[in-house]
Amino acid sequence: MMVLTNLHPSFGKKAVYILDCAVCYQTVCRRGMLAVLVADGKTELFSTDKCDRSAVGVIPEIFWAKSCWCKIQSLACLSCGAVVGYHVILPCVKCLKAVNNGHRCMFHNKFVSHCYRLDEEGGDFLLWKHLKPHDEDNLLSRECLR
Amino acid sequence: MPRQADYRTCSQLLRNSSKLGNIYVDRPSDQSSRWSSDSNNPPQFLILRLEKPAIVTSVLFGKYEKTHVCNLRKFKIHGGLTEDHMIELFDGGLKNDHIPETFLLRHEIEGNPFPCRYIRIEPLQAWGTNFNFSIWYVELHGNNNWDDVKHCMNWYNTYREKEAIRLCLKHFRQRGYTEAFRELSTKTKITLEHPLLTQLHTVLVTNGDFKACEQFITQASNEGMFDQYISQQEYKPEWTPIEPVNAKKPDSSSDARPGMRGGHQMCIDVLTETIYMFGGWDGNRDLADFWSYHLPSQTWVCLSHDTERDGGPSARSCHKMCLDYEKKQIFTLGRYLDPSMRSPDRLKCDFHMYDIDSHQWTFITEDTAAMGGPRLIFDHQMVIDIEHQTIYVFGGRVLTSPSSSDNDRTPEMIFSGLYSFHIPSNTWTLLMDDCPTLRSRIGHSMLFHPGLSRDKEKRDNVKNSFWVYDILNDKWSCIYKNENVGQNYWLKMQHVEPVPRFAHQLVYDHVRKTHYLFGGNPGKDSLPRLRLDDFWSLKLSRPSSDYLLRRCRYLIRKHQFLEISSQTPMKAMTYLQHEVANMVDHNDPEETKEFQLLTSSLFPCPSIDDDAEPSGADRVLQDVDPNFSQRTNLFDKLVAFFPESMTQPKDNLVDLVPLS
Repeated sequence: MMVLTNLHPSFGKKAVYILDCAVCYQTVCRRGMLAVLVADGKTELFSTDKCDRSAVGVIPEIFWAKSCWCKIQSLACLSCGAVVGYHVILPCVKCLKAVNNGHRCMFHNKFVSHCYRLDEEGGDFLLWKHLKPHDEDNLLSRECLR
Repeated sequence: MPRQADYRTCSQLLRNSSKLGNIYVDRPSDQSSRWSSDSNNPPQFLILRLEKPAIVTSVLFGKYEKTHVCNLRKFKIHGGLTEDHMIELFDGGLKNDHIPETFLLRHEIEGNPFPCRYIRIEPLQAWGTNFNFSIWYVELHGNNNWDDVKHCMNWYNTYREKEAIRLCLKHFRQRGYTEAFRELSTKTKITLEHPLLTQLHTVLVTNGDFKACEQFITQASNEGMFDQYISQQEYKPEWTPIEPVNAKKPDSSSDARPGMRGGHQMCIDVLTETIYMFGGWDGNRDLADFWSYHLPSQTWVCLSHDTERDGGPSARSCHKMCLDYEKKQIFTLGRYLDPSMRSPDRLKCDFHMYDIDSHQWTFITEDTAAMGGPRLIFDHQMVIDIEHQTIYVFGGRVLTSPSSSDNDRTPEMIFSGLYSFHIPSNTWTLLMDDCPTLRSRIGHSMLFHPGLSRDKEKRDNVKNSFWVYDILNDKWSCIYKNENVGQNYWLKMQHVEPVPRFAHQLVYDHVRKTHYLFGGNPGKDSLPRLRLDDFWSLKLSRPSSDYLLRRCRYLIRKHQFLEISSQTPMKAMTYLQHEVANMVDHNDPEETKEFQLLTSSLFPCPSIDDDAEPSGADRVLQDVDPNFSQRTNLFDKLVAFFPESMTQPKDNLVDLVPLS
């Protein structure tokens, strides 16, 4: 159940989204990418490279995805417990062979609200090619807080 | 400290007592040198038994050489002379690192050390949420000198005997067993309470003299006997947004009040009741405007639009300011520079002073490091000792030129140490370099106040919390917390309470006991350049002694009313309308409601008294004044406001009866 971009594999030009839990508005992801499911080629959802373990928790039950043989676990908002997405623990061969963005962590369209993320300097939309690696991309780990 | 002779462990499935021996040995590199619980379901604990009772004053936990998911994030320690009766000695947690930690354990009752023979360590949470608990190494420290311990045991036993008798005395008196009370009292010569309170008991409970009781309480309040109770009450926070009345502007084109910013600085002159604010970052650039706010007139005055133009410091943020309210001088040092601007020639630490009365800036020095002071730093701390005319600068991160470091991605962070600046002689002194014991910090904040110290918001994913540290009792209290993160919530609440933020400024007026907050960074991912420009005052309040006295008088009059109403309802009604009504705050909805409900007591109804203690079905005291138990209740309520050292025990004998 991997994701494929809408038009081309140049994922870098895609915008970075902030995703909030639809139930309690807590931010569940600050590095979302709008994508399409590989398995059916049409379901739109958000994916991310690394899920924020301080905002989402993993529900241990393992099950198979709806449209393919990927093994997945649900992800839920740590603040209110609402299921917001899932993550792939074992991708199936079909999905692996297809073009995908390598993200294993997905958020359902209906369970999160989204908005664009702006870059710090230009006041422009932040694109994936400019996004810092996840361990450096922390609001409060900036050098100077002002 | 002799080695523990014996140990027990509680584990749901297996008794792995063999592993428990591992905690005697400190082998940080050995993964198997620890005790582990079999699960993390409660209860999990281990009990250490000492060869002989001792006064255990501290405990040391050794650790594994690296962070470990099984380390104890939260645990409690209990101790006692027997396994069945232990009291809590410590409640805390370990840091998840490799450094051994020592904690002080509670080892005194009323200033007297008490001995323990059993120590129970109960893990509550491991650093890895689902992981079992591990304890690598434990050392207990204290005094096991048998003479000392024996002495303490004697004291402790005597103490327990005394308390048991006091509980009996309290029980006998409450139940009206006056003879038994007198017998026990005379025989043991143990006093239940301070003689003044015994006097109050006679006046109120025995004589039913409510007027005298009221006089007594009033006098007690006036003599400050309720002060200790008041000081133990929690503060209640009260936020008020400040709307400035008007603004005096040097030229009409400028703004009437300061714009949005984070990383600015504020300081307060409590004598003139004026707040000064300088610089900051508005989301796009550093600022160089300088403002004053006069609290009584609620007016902003722009002292300077551009301090650099006026001979002062250039635009900056993450600097620090301190104010000498006697000499009326403000000092500022330090600032943050974007990495792209850190060429070696721009890294000099400039030091400026503003004279409030003459509105003049003085450029004290352009390079404090050359004068023996700190290098260019940001997020440091600066305080002034006005009496000794000395400024202390501590911590902060040193700004270095990127070209000088090999790894330009993450250059090694250098923190500044502790410096002092003697103003009259213009001399810098390095007091202490950054070192492991001092551990320089950045971004912390302290406000010193006689009696209490305050720390500003803890940065926890931009939530609001306000903590107070009681220096005397070494205790932190969170008196304000707002962890709501929903956008909708804050849209509604933004005029009631300040939205969560960091990089704001908080100053304290210790004369009027009010905090002032301005601006900051709300940390919105969707609007990274947004800064705040809101201005708030925060008052922390506790019930005043006047309030407490009024409530006590209300309670007394309420009880008198209830007694009168059972006999002469008409007289009671008048009493209620005048004497009781006078003690009610009719603006307070809760008090008004309670007062209004009292009227129902005027109408005869079989025993509806919500104040009566549920007593046993067969009441043992038949030949006692029916008002006795009500008056006893009132007495118990009133004495709760007196210092604990004066009063009868808080517990009741009946409550100690175990339910099987």
